[in-house]
Amino acid sequence: MVSKSQPEKQSLYYGWYIIGALFFATLIAIGGRQGFGVFVKTWEQDWGVTTTTISIAAATGWLVNGISQPFVGRLTDIYGGRRVVVWSLLVMAIATMGVATVTNIYGLIALYGFIISFAAGGISPATTGVIIARWFEKKRGIAMAVLISGGSVGGMIVVPFLSYVLIEFGWQTAWLMIGGLALAFGVPLLLIVVRSNPVDMGLEIDGEESENTPEAEVTVRPVGPKFAEKWKDALNSRPIWQLSVTYFVCGITTASISVHFVRWAISEDISTGTAALAFGALSGINACGVLAIGLLSDRWQRKNLLAAVYLVRGLAFISLFVLPGPIAIWAFAVIGGMSWLATVPLTASLTADVYGVRNLGTLFGFANMAHQLGGAAAVMLFGWAFTAWGSYDIPFAIGAATLLAAGIISLSIREKQHSVRYVQVPAGGATGSELITQDGD
Amino acid sequence: MVGPSGVPAGPLLHVSEPIDPALWAWLSDKIDHTLGLSPGVIIAIIGTFIVVFPIVVMVVAVRNRPSRKSVE
Repeated sequence: MVSKSQPEKQSLYYGWYIIGALFFATLIAIGGRQGFGVFVKTWEQDWGVTTTTISIAAATGWLVNGISQPFVGRLTDIYGGRRVVVWSLLVMAIATMGVATVTNIYGLIALYGFIISFAAGGISPATTGVIIARWFEKKRGIAMAVLISGGSVGGMIVVPFLSYVLIEFGWQTAWLMIGGLALAFGVPLLLIVVRSNPVDMGLEIDGEESENTPEAEVTVRPVGPKFAEKWKDALNSRPIWQLSVTYFVCGITTASISVHFVRWAISEDISTGTAALAFGALSGINACGVLAIGLLSDRWQRKNLLAAVYLVRGLAFISLFVLPGPIAIWAFAVIGGMSWLATVPLTASLTADVYGVRNLGTLFGFANMAHQLGGAAAVMLFGWAFTAWGSYDIPFAIGAATLLAAGIISLSIREKQHSVRYVQVPAGGATGSELITQDGD
Repeated sequence: MVGPSGVPAGPLLHVSEPIDPALWAWLSDKIDHTLGLSPGVIIAIIGTFIVVFPIVVMVVAVRNRPSRKSVE
């Protein structure tokens, strides 16, 4: 008589609790970083510096966060997502509390520009998306979309929180509180709830019935024909470049709008209040859009949806230089809002579908870095173009053209030939299966 | 790489760029005007959510954590 252990069937798949925990970590991490803007005027007065000087810390943070993505992604592939997200939030929380002790811009650049921004890379889709991809396959699209929406919710909740704590108790208390909350609640939540793989809890991906032996420490999953045994192998294939180039365009078109939209509105004699209201509408539509795309992406080909998202965003860009300003701003809010965040779950899911999850952190980290670098370059070029020509028409037209190209490139991805959703190499083949082992964490 | 107020901008954030201070000043005025709540009350409401959400997720996840049953 041999006694074996087998997990009991659960009413709700445990992966959804992991999404809840990562959603909270994303909310705190992204919300905390977005809250930076709330403190600018206070720091100007306290430290006697200009906004431009403070923006050095923000700009440094932007680049460091982008460059960190492949590194934290690689760490995720090697050590498991749980360790990376726990350590990242721990470092981020302590450094955030440390900002309360800063007395000059150099301390802010060191803590916010480098440490917090690098650690924030560990609470990004390059890590959290990898964990979700390992827990979900059939519902990967909607699972990623729910996780990504945590960033939007973070902005809506944490930014006002920081702002009102600043008013009531001062900026030092605000940074101590948000860092303290992350340390007291976020870190334990990740430690207790998150596991890197379902096999760590004796479960199967998507909560399926196990076909492996009950005591197996290794799960064998079928993979697609482009499965990347080593991350460098993927660089010799087309899909990773197609996805990275389109994500680069995503970075160009979102970062340029984030920075230049208000300046464009002012140049069109639109008030800051109207611009803010349009932004608010865009944010609301964006949260609904990403969830809708997530649901659809589990039913339809993801590359077609990705192409549609880029082309719709292209239409939004065209509206900016074709329509009169007061109409254009609302057209952009509605049309652009539908496509704003939707690229993230689609790109992450497609990368996982094509290359498997073994090296997903590194590969999606590369795509994320392309996104951030594209954004940084575009912000500078859009600024230069406005200074040179006194108008955003040409930069917006170029943005629309790059989005058209991104749509065409997305359509050219041969998903039915490369994705594990359509072509599965039978498990147990020499190179046709992916071994998912316990991380022991 | 700066917005009109000198810092990367916008509530329409795609990644995690800081919010534009001028826009936030306008938005917070609107929130104050619409809700009419004191800062202390808003802090208490949002703070409660930030504390309760992770506790609920943690408790529910631990209670529903799959336990291994013995089979022969």
